[in-house]
Amino acid sequence: MKAYNIEEGTIILNRDLTELDIFVKDFLEVVKKHTKHLIVSGFVSISSGRTRGTEDVDVLIPLISKENFDNLFDDLEKAGFWCFQGNKDIAYPYFSEKVSIRFARENEMFPNMEVIPVDETRKVKFFELSHPQKMKVDNFEFNIPPIEFEILYKELILKAKKDIEDAKHLRVMFSEIIDEKRFEKYRPIILMELK
Amino acid sequence: MKEIDYVEMYALNIKDNPELFKQQKKLIESQMHSSSTLFRNMFKDTDFKTGARIYLRKIGLLK
Repeated sequence: MKAYNIEEGTIILNRDLTELDIFVKDFLEVVKKHTKHLIVSGFVSISSGRTRGTEDVDVLIPLISKENFDNLFDDLEKAGFWCFQGNKDIAYPYFSEKVSIRFARENEMFPNMEVIPVDETRKVKFFELSHPQKMKVDNFEFNIPPIEFEILYKELILKAKKDIEDAKHLRVMFSEIIDEKRFEKYRPIILMELK
Repeated sequence: MKEIDYVEMYALNIKDNPELFKQQKKLIESQMHSSSTLFRNMFKDTDFKTGARIYLRKIGLLK
């Protein structure tokens, strides 16, 4: 058996759920009821086998109205998550100004979900949120950017040692499905982040 | 051998041997348990959220 296979365009990872997966799964089950999502950065590499620790999991969601935000916030609290910033009336001004907010399980700080609000003005993030790649582990399905996009973003924008290593891991892990033409397509889009 | 070469070697191995995911799972869960114990102990004498927010401001995760 290989580490992954592709079924109807979804990357299926052939492994058991970890406690980190279950944390993210529980969080996304609530988010999915209210809006779309995209998991980016470290968790993409870790879920596909990269052996390193992480303290936060980055998730992009659209910039939503206060009413939708309140409903999402209430449901996250009911599901056992707390927000670092404070209650929903304290957290929404951060969110509406496109500042990330963080959630962890009750009586925990790490791992936490860094919720990154995205609208059309954040062109690069808006593009990846609009072009999801499905990934699945056991019964946990979530969206990630196209693999080529994730690799280039780490190589061109983030560039820390762990990011370069994550990109290398993804290049090797998914070499059979990587489409070189997509790197050229995504490069100018990603470089807009530097302008 | 550089660290990046180990990353490549590990990825090559795990691709064809998903049994290695079991080691990775142990590492991830061990880190989570250690972190959980550390912070529960750190804030055991105070309200968790209050203590956590003071700590998070100190490390710059909360402005």
